[in-house]
Amino acid sequence: MGFVTYDVNRYTPRQMVVLPMVLLIVSLAILGYNMASTGMPVKPGMDFSGGTAVTLLNPENPDTLRATFSGYPLIEPIGEKFIKFGPMDDATFESLATLVNEQYPDAKIDQIGPSFGQTLQEQAVLALTISFIGMAMVVFLAFRSFVPAGAVVLSAFADITMTAAVMSVIGIELTLPTTAALLMLIGYSVDSDILLTMRVLKRQGKLNDKLSGAFHTGIIMTTTTLAAIAAMWVVAFAGEITVIRDIASVLLIGLVIDMMNTWLTNAGIIKWYMLKRGAK
Amino acid sequence: MNRKDLIELLKNWQVALLVVLLVASVFFIFPHVEDGKLATNLQYGLDLSDGTWLQMEFQAEVVGFETSRPVSDFLTDLQKSLDAEIYLIDDDKLEIRKYVPENELGQIFTSAGGRLTSYEQGVSKETGDQVKQILEQKLNALGTRDAKVNPLTSLTGTTRYVRVELAGVSLSQAKDIVGKQGKFEIRIHTTGNATEHVLYGDAITTVGIPSQEPPGSDRWGVSFTLSQEGAAQFRDAAIRYGATTDPENHWLDMVLDDAMVYSAPLSADLAAKLQVEPIRQLYASTGSGQAGLTAAKNLEIHLRAGALPVEVSVAGSGSVSAPLGEYFKTMSVIAFVVAAIAVGVVIFYRYREPAIVLPMIGTNLAEIVILLGIAALIQQQLDLLAIAALIAVLGTGIDQLVIITDEVLHEGRVPSPHLYQKRLTRAVGIIMVSAATVVIAMIPLALMDLSTLRGFAIITIIGVLVGVLITRPAYGKIIMAILSK
Repeated sequence: MGFVTYDVNRYTPRQMVVLPMVLLIVSLAILGYNMASTGMPVKPGMDFSGGTAVTLLNPENPDTLRATFSGYPLIEPIGEKFIKFGPMDDATFESLATLVNEQYPDAKIDQIGPSFGQTLQEQAVLALTISFIGMAMVVFLAFRSFVPAGAVVLSAFADITMTAAVMSVIGIELTLPTTAALLMLIGYSVDSDILLTMRVLKRQGKLNDKLSGAFHTGIIMTTTTLAAIAAMWVVAFAGEITVIRDIASVLLIGLVIDMMNTWLTNAGIIKWYMLKRGAK
Repeated sequence: MNRKDLIELLKNWQVALLVVLLVASVFFIFPHVEDGKLATNLQYGLDLSDGTWLQMEFQAEVVGFETSRPVSDFLTDLQKSLDAEIYLIDDDKLEIRKYVPENELGQIFTSAGGRLTSYEQGVSKETGDQVKQILEQKLNALGTRDAKVNPLTSLTGTTRYVRVELAGVSLSQAKDIVGKQGKFEIRIHTTGNATEHVLYGDAITTVGIPSQEPPGSDRWGVSFTLSQEGAAQFRDAAIRYGATTDPENHWLDMVLDDAMVYSAPLSADLAAKLQVEPIRQLYASTGSGQAGLTAAKNLEIHLRAGALPVEVSVAGSGSVSAPLGEYFKTMSVIAFVVAAIAVGVVIFYRYREPAIVLPMIGTNLAEIVILLGIAALIQQQLDLLAIAALIAVLGTGIDQLVIITDEVLHEGRVPSPHLYQKRLTRAVGIIMVSAATVVIAMIPLALMDLSTLRGFAIITIIGVLVGVLITRPAYGKIIMAILSK
């Protein structure tokens, strides 16, 4: 494709993996710092920490909203259609729900109690862990060879870690939808990695040709997915559908990072592995 | 492509299966016009229709225990210090129907001469199912359309939450319905079929679980306790209308919301006792065997008059109005269409050949139609997250069609059928592995009940399976037929 000028064969394996490894270390440092200071690698959103969210049908001036809900634990920044509140007791919530019903009868209200949030969070962490281990097992079973399988798992790990780091830097919270997106990323990210590994290991021919062939196909794959997700993001952003917007944001970030990890990290390692085994 | 080629292509089982499933799916989705609007058989989740969800947490716990004392003595002591209903649900497991924090409970266990070995907030699966039954009866009685009650049971068998979803009901209405109790009354037969009021449900202080009387006899019933006042009213009525002296002609009726749920005479033993003093502890027998047990379970629910056996607190709740649900639905359709167009543009930019691009997009959309057909068939609800999953399936689906196309187009356009088959097999190999990873990654979510994430996972898994097993192999055959022109 015209706009892709990267040549997968131009660099040595060492040069290829340097950038992603540096970024991986930076990402781990960011997540580690968050973990140490707040106990969570990414700031947990309402689903996990508890709170109330109100979605309006029609946009409203933020100042009007601030005035209307001044007696409640509003969380800034507030949007024109989407407002969040911190945890509150049952009686306060009842009165808030009544107020919302009076002022904005068409609104959507969601409320999660702190202990329920805690349960959801524990389960989400468990789900992420099990998914990752399951994915790794499938990959090892499929390739039955340590270095290529390890490379795929490492790129998937780097994808999740870097995406989580970017989320924490640009302020996307960890919620049920974004957890789903991270899980989906596990599936997505191995897609192009598997293509690359299969092509390089199982096809006949020169290593360079196989790498550029895989790159060619892989980039189309990722750009079509990116196109679908970007379209979803645009519509969700314009329509302020936060659930879909958040999922799409995380997937967009993740897919861009995945391109780097597939064509630098994974391609670098597989190239080194093939060269070491005497491939030309 | 002429007619003969088309028939040739349809003889291929993968292609034939695709067409059959496509037709079947349209049938299951059943698009039709209803009241001048397009309607389908697809089920929408709460955020795409209107309604309310309530997630309630049981204020109770299931605990493991150890004691060197006789179990019944230990339980008696526990009961005294906890002042709560306690049930032995296994040899070493108790259900305590009152919320007590773990450390506090540990101390109480120790001072009663035992040890707390495990602690989980929630109730046993049986109690959870009973709560489901009570809530469903209540919702049915109110004629609430489309109500769902799901106890969420963990892998260890403890039910901590129960989730209620009600379509077309606002949050405050939903809370009223769930909290509402029926009107329970005990009436006594005076002369003939005429009856008189004895007491209302508020005089019943506790209701037991079905038990055998005498123990081990397989004769079932439910015990319940009356308040001091209620017991006095009960005795007065029994004496005044002559039930103590002639029980057979003065049966007692239990009435819930004006429907009789139980009727029986006083036992000779009870009649004699009532003559002397008010009795607070009563027992209603329901017969023997399985039928007796079932009747006892129902009576227990009726005696509680819709009150849950365990206190619950609202852990989370939400509601969506009809206009907002409609808005989300419209936006979902727009998002989907825009995504499909975007994918089409990218694919066209790359291959620039309608003969390849059209079957690709057609296959991709067929995949979505079949996925929706299955969703309609299994009544899987579509909510916003499921729509996101659908768009993601569209994205991965096209990815894999790219893999197939590139794999078979590799070096030269028209490979021999033998070579073609070899390459297709290799492409399907790649797809299988990546599909397996996606399915494995989603399985924990599909099993775990992380509220709305479950639908997301189920849609993703079905989508991937449909793609790998049906549409993508069929696409391989279709593209071969086209390319060999």
